Amino acid sequence: MSLCLVRIDDRLIHGQVVAVWLRALGAQRIVIVDDASARDEFLREVLTLAAPQGVPVEVHDVASGAVRCIELATTPEPVIVLARSPRTILALRQAGVPIEVVDVGGMGGGPGRKRLHKTISISPDELRELRELEQLGTRVEIQIVADDRPIPFRSLDSGN
Amino acid sequence: MQRKYAAAGAGLLVLMLLAATMPAAVLGASSATTSAPHQITVSFLQAALIAIGYYLANSPWLFGLAFFTLYRPLVAGFFVGLILGDPAQGTLIGAAINIPYLGFISAGGNLPADAGFAGWVGTTVALASGIDATKAIPIAFGLGLLGTIIFYSRMAVDSVFAHWADARAEKADIAGVALMNWLPGQAFLFVVSFVPVFLLALNGPSAVQDALNALPLWTVNGLVIAGGILPAIGIALNMRFIFRGSAIPYFFIGFILMTVTHGSVSLVVIAAIGLCLAYLHLNFVSRDAPLAAAQAAESTAAPVQAQEPKVRLTRGDLIRSWALWTFFAHANYSYERLQGTGFAHAMTPIIKRLYTTPDEIRDALKRHLVFFNTEPNFGNVVHGTVIAMEEQRANGAAIDDDAINSVKSGLMGPMAGIGDTLSQSTITPILLALGIGIAGGTASGSAVPTLSGATGNPLGAIIYMVLVSIVIVAIGYTAWMQGYSRGRSFVTEILKSGTIDRVLIGAGVLGNMVLGALAATFVVVNLAPTVTIAGAQMNLQASIIDPLFPGALALGLVVMTWWLLQRRVNPLALLAIYLVFAIVSAYPFFGPGQANSGDYSYGACTSSLLHQYTPCGAPPAPTAQP
Repeated sequence: MSLCLVRIDDRLIHGQVVAVWLRALGAQRIVIVDDASARDEFLREVLTLAAPQGVPVEVHDVASGAVRCIELATTPEPVIVLARSPRTILALRQAGVPIEVVDVGGMGGGPGRKRLHKTISISPDELRELRELEQLGTRVEIQIVADDRPIPFRSLDSGN
Repeated sequence: MQRKYAAAGAGLLVLMLLAATMPAAVLGASSATTSAPHQITVSFLQAALIAIGYYLANSPWLFGLAFFTLYRPLVAGFFVGLILGDPAQGTLIGAAINIPYLGFISAGGNLPADAGFAGWVGTTVALASGIDATKAIPIAFGLGLLGTIIFYSRMAVDSVFAHWADARAEKADIAGVALMNWLPGQAFLFVVSFVPVFLLALNGPSAVQDALNALPLWTVNGLVIAGGILPAIGIALNMRFIFRGSAIPYFFIGFILMTVTHGSVSLVVIAAIGLCLAYLHLNFVSRDAPLAAAQAAESTAAPVQAQEPKVRLTRGDLIRSWALWTFFAHANYSYERLQGTGFAHAMTPIIKRLYTTPDEIRDALKRHLVFFNTEPNFGNVVHGTVIAMEEQRANGAAIDDDAINSVKSGLMGPMAGIGDTLSQSTITPILLALGIGIAGGTASGSAVPTLSGATGNPLGAIIYMVLVSIVIVAIGYTAWMQGYSRGRSFVTEILKSGTIDRVLIGAGVLGNMVLGALAATFVVVNLAPTVTIAGAQMNLQASIIDPLFPGALALGLVVMTWWLLQRRVNPLALLAIYLVFAIVSAYPFFGPGQANSGDYSYGACTSSLLHQYTPCGAPPAPTAQP
């Protein structure tokens, strides 16, 4: 499995990803799947330039991202896949991307969102989408940085 | 997670307190340099000052620089030393305590350990109870894990105050939002910081002294050995960021320079050589460095507005806004919003200038109270850009909430990625390594080969504080103003120009040199076993390994630790393993009589594998068999 980290993070590329995860996993490529960023030329450019040198960043919308992830999953190169929301990951999964584990790494708080764990807050829709992912056989885990112990989503999901 | 860290911290602390136990008389004999440990009784006032110092280290009151200065054990050690009347020894202890935190990064509300707590409480306990710097390292590390409870309780409680700020925003109350960003959060922080540190400063040293009178001698020797090998973890954690590619040889150059000169060159000299090499490396060696001048000047974006604007921001507004952010970005750091309330607070001068009706003010306040987090210095380009957008919007440009939100949420991550790489994993550790290296020397300025002969040099803490403050403020101010005046084009230009990469590569060269030199000073491995060659009994390390390559074992330990971390071995697990290994290797399996007899001299090799302070060499060590 060369999709070494599939992560939900509403800030996509940032310190935890660049300074911690990338180093810890030795990943050589970052694939961002996000419709809004893929549409916006400026954001696309910023995201591509934000990773350290030698780590190419690709920004895809969901449709092309799914194709790309399926392709990359069969290569030996370790890849980090980032998406802003559970919905995107669910769409990738339904499009046939082999995702064994999805890491919930950052979902900010706001109106209508309930705090699940530390910096992870969640809306009812997202809760449903994560449950659906589990039903499809993808393990959902909360792990903010690489040195944390992963917490199974199921253990935090009270079921209401 | 916090419970896990707390439990680990508490467990480690108990272990440390037990292991630190040692009869005072033996303690005196154990240290070659200090005749007797001078113990200090911490007064009520001194404990209060130390507790206030720890609070300040987490507070916004030092122009946002507390996290880069007072929070670092090196600086904390200096101030604790000042308060307790021995700044040199305090700085030395702080420097030693700081080593495991060289690779310390706190990003996105995640705190692996409370380095500030380790620094303030650890130095106090060590200095007041007369423990030397080497033993302070493992004790303080346990404290650092315990201290995370304070941070996590604050992150949880601050979410409540964010909602109080929401309520003020609903009433278009600008001053109220600003107040809610600092007053309740800081009041809470003061209480949870002051009380535990005050009590520990007052009672910790005597508790340690009491504990000092119970445990067998070899465990304490083990603690000293641990103080020599635990720094390898801190150095290796930092190496994860800079020890790669064509910069790798510079680490070894730094290490060898330090060992072959027996530490007679100061870290400042090593850093100066490092700067020269960085220049040469960038210009003549590195193939992965982009060319600086290659990029053609892009046509700068046309001014956005042609006609005379209705409202204009003054330079004063911008500076006030920047200052508010720099002070209060983390004043109400919470799980729910992270820097969200800090962002709104910083925007108050802008909102005051641009908007007049209560509806506009309320909307603007609410717009900026949402979840936000970036690196608070380089990340300031986001604020600058957003302020420019707000100004255009107030002047009638068609910029809706979505446009502003997408710039904030789109840029905050990438800018944090670059900013953290610059400030937290490059600039701070390199300057810290420099400061620690200076602090770990003698007051006359020259470094010493190992900690045991050092007297401490407060200049290390002072030089670090000044340098880091200048660099961090300069980055923050430039990013803010450039973000405002040039916005998106500044972001893409600076990223494309390769300037940041050149800075990182150059810093990597300098950093490796300094880190290598630091490893030579602080990582100490002393083998006990001896071999018999031609009838003479010789210490394996002192007579055979070190003459070939001085410090080879320490260097090997550091590189092995780095290798293990690269293979995703958990640093905390590694720490526990090294600690147990150190204590076990001090056990006198071959020692004379019982472990507790205390009738053997320190020159003799009583431990089975590793020895404290120096390799046991000259005096015959009949008991240690190869």
